[in-house]
Amino acid sequence: MELNIHFRKESNLLKVFIEGEIDTFTAPKLRDKLESFDIDPNYIIELDLSKVVYMDSTGLGVIVALYKKVTREQGNLKLVGLSARLIRLFTITGLSELMNIEVEVKVE
Amino acid sequence: MNNILEVNINTEWDIITARQIARETSKSIGFDTVDQARIVVAISEIAKNIFMYAKAGLITIERLESAEEKGISITAIDNGPGILDIKSVFDESNSKGLGAGLPGVKRLMDSLEIQSELGGGTIVRIEKWLR
Amino acid sequence: MEQLLIQYKQILSDYISNRKEQNLYIGQNYIRQLIQKNVAPEDVINIHRKAIEEIYTQLPDTLTHAYDFLIEVMVQFGLQFREHQSLLVQQEELRIEMDIAANIQNILLKTEMPELESIDIGMVSEPIRKMNGDYVYFLYDEQNYLSVAVADVVGKGVPAALCMSMVKNGLETMKYANHNPSYVLEVLNNIIEKSVDDSMFVSSFYGRYDIEHGVFTYGSAGHEPALYFSAKNESYYDLNSKGLLLGVMPEVKYPQFTIQFEENDFIMIVTDGVTELKNYDVIESRNLLKKIAFPLRHLSAQKMCEKVYSELQKLQDYNLNDDFTIVILKK
Repeated sequence: MELNIHFRKESNLLKVFIEGEIDTFTAPKLRDKLESFDIDPNYIIELDLSKVVYMDSTGLGVIVALYKKVTREQGNLKLVGLSARLIRLFTITGLSELMNIEVEVKVE
Repeated sequence: MNNILEVNINTEWDIITARQIARETSKSIGFDTVDQARIVVAISEIAKNIFMYAKAGLITIERLESAEEKGISITAIDNGPGILDIKSVFDESNSKGLGAGLPGVKRLMDSLEIQSELGGGTIVRIEKWLR
Repeated sequence: MEQLLIQYKQILSDYISNRKEQNLYIGQNYIRQLIQKNVAPEDVINIHRKAIEEIYTQLPDTLTHAYDFLIEVMVQFGLQFREHQSLLVQQEELRIEMDIAANIQNILLKTEMPELESIDIGMVSEPIRKMNGDYVYFLYDEQNYLSVAVADVVGKGVPAALCMSMVKNGLETMKYANHNPSYVLEVLNNIIEKSVDDSMFVSSFYGRYDIEHGVFTYGSAGHEPALYFSAKNESYYDLNSKGLLLGVMPEVKYPQFTIQFEENDFIMIVTDGVTELKNYDVIESRNLLKKIAFPLRHLSAQKMCEKVYSELQKLQDYNLNDDFTIVILKK
């Protein structure tokens, strides 16, 4: 399964569309892409996960690393379009308390 | 005959030009078909290294002639990322991809010298003598 | 080289006229000396070409060109073949080192299973690769407490193994089983958070059983909720908790919760290798686990773990895709 990543920039908002499976094999690609841009203070990075069909803990690791980087550079990270399964993953791991996650549950 | 010829390596086509010059030069020096093939494959490898790792560089092909011996010398100069640990390039059990194929090139030729600095480009000089 | 050509020409023309097994055998012995003299593949082709040219004087030009081409590609082939060979050697060396490292890890991270009168303990922990990314640690004293930690490192292989050693060291500094789960998780978090890699973290469940009072206290750091089975009610309950994964942020607080453990109750602590089965979502996997464990509830804790493992393995065609750990505590 492929992983596709697209960016769209709207003033100080960077939208990142992720499509496919995020697992041990595809996570390095995602990490490289997410490390490829600089973050200015007050910058908002929005990860759209609505097309993510599967994500394991390696994928979670990449997102945690991004969160740490964005927070350090005083930007904001927002996750949108999470499936019920992903919401459960972020809830159980305690990350939903930490990160800005759009909680509106998507109908699968 | 012109003793020194130069080829700029910017595109993959330039690799073919370099091969062609190496072949004609080595043939006119008197190398047999097998050695011609070795010299051409060697120049092809170092030209490809320039193309892949340094993007651009210069290859010089020189006829070597002394009273007793004849040979060919090929020098490749680039301004690429350079090689930090030259020894590791020749350690075949530790080939990290950078300067790939150099141990093989050394085997095809009689000698291979390399000068490099990290960030300061690389000079590779190979020679082969007619026996 | 001239000598080799003369020999080869002889052997080749003998074969062409007789085509006997004997001729081939001589050819085989001839090749041996080529190896000893370090003759390259392209030289062998060249010898062959020259021999053919001498045997058949009127070869068409096109065939000569074909030989030129073969020599040319053999030079490249020899180059790449040797490179490939050296990579294989390198790979083999790495594999051996990896085996040694895995053995050391298995010794270092071996779980010591306590045997207690008051509580029955079972465990299965099977790595998917050589090194286990899951870890189980027990601490106990005879009269008062039994504590259990189940940890799962994100990622696999060497980095995971190194991280797991940190978890083990952190747990060993506890020394006694009486510490509160919230305290233990906080200490572990501070240890792992100081590690360098931003994407390195660990999920962990920590439980402490008070033997005298039958009270089980637990906390979780981003771990899959454990399952509690109440024998009296014949039903399962998720041991839900709230707590961030270990290693994400410094100074995290972990809440702890308690349950009263009754006769024949059991607790199943698992890692996500158990709940992330292929073709099942997490909820379905957990339901499956409950269903499989239910008829086994009268067995010993160890037997239960083994049966659950073999059932799930069978169900997944003996092809589980993650480290698999299940711990059962049973009264």
